[in-house]
Amino acid sequence: MTVITHKRRKSRLTDMIDKPGGISVGVALVQAQANIEERRGPSLEAVAEMVKSLLAIERPTSLEDNFERLIEVYRGSNGIIDVASPFGLDELCEAASNLCNLVDASPAGELFDWRIVTVHARAMQMLMRLPEGADEARRTVLDSLQQVQGRRIPAQKA
Amino acid sequence: MSGLATSLRSSSIINLSSAVTMVVDDSPFALDLTSQALLGFGIRTRYACRSAADAISILKESPIDLLLVDCEMPGTDGFELVRWLRRSGLDPNAFTPIIMTAAHLRRSRASEARDCGASFVIIKPFSAVTLLERIVWVSRDQRPFLEVGDYFGPDRRFGDATPPGAERRAQMIRKAAAEAEGVDTAAIPEDEFHSSATS
Repeated sequence: MTVITHKRRKSRLTDMIDKPGGISVGVALVQAQANIEERRGPSLEAVAEMVKSLLAIERPTSLEDNFERLIEVYRGSNGIIDVASPFGLDELCEAASNLCNLVDASPAGELFDWRIVTVHARAMQMLMRLPEGADEARRTVLDSLQQVQGRRIPAQKA
Repeated sequence: MSGLATSLRSSSIINLSSAVTMVVDDSPFALDLTSQALLGFGIRTRYACRSAADAISILKESPIDLLLVDCEMPGTDGFELVRWLRRSGLDPNAFTPIIMTAAHLRRSRASEARDCGASFVIIKPFSAVTLLERIVWVSRDQRPFLEVGDYFGPDRRFGDATPPGAERRAQMIRKAAAEAEGVDTAAIPEDEFHSSATS
């Protein structure tokens, strides 16, 4: 196969990163985290709405519906990770990622077992409600979701 | 944070304030959170696009220094956008450093993540540390661009061709993050802050 190599031109980023001025990495990180934290309230409200929307997606009755609804579930779960992850809501992200894995691994010619969506969405609501320090309860919720994944996705694919 | 400035003095300064940056994400919340993180780094997002179509119209007209793209978007997704840009012949945008972000990567899309031509793909959870590390990394990336079959983008073989200083910066970023969390880094060997680049 022919390989054409283009010599990399120096990007403008390369030129500018070491120019005088700028900020220290430490300040940059603190500022970034502070800016993100300012969004915590509305972001968590948005996540709660996204979880509700997952629950509101109707169970499909045909394979065509199944395909479309699963895209909705997948995008919804993605959205939850997008918004929750900057705030360190790792358990919530893990639950959403678990659901993404299950949707991604679902066979094309079969209706998805919709209880999986419901269970994951309810679990996410529970994770959001559990008080700080309830680590054991959180782990129990996540373990049960992992068991669902373990049963549904063969070991070699998981 | 008082010890932070000391440990990062001199070589720990970055200046990307004049970078023309575009963020593409269909989620308004994710778009805003990414832009806020960038703002913290001193990078103002010039173009915030909710769709690939919006991004394409700007990329055709204006040079961009740094592009951050979400993988999963309705319509033209992030992979298609990046593949289009690399093949567009637009100069200099076809060679722009591109960082892709994914909340979750479908198994069927893993090869696209590797082959679309992005400089880096970050799988969430999102962290400001990881994002800054990758931005510094792509800023120093010296890999040549290759045309191989359908592929056009940076050489996918990372090998030993790490950008000069990248590891040092990565160490400093991790160290700064540790200090920000109140960890006494003075007692930790420098090697503890090493991280391996993933794509």
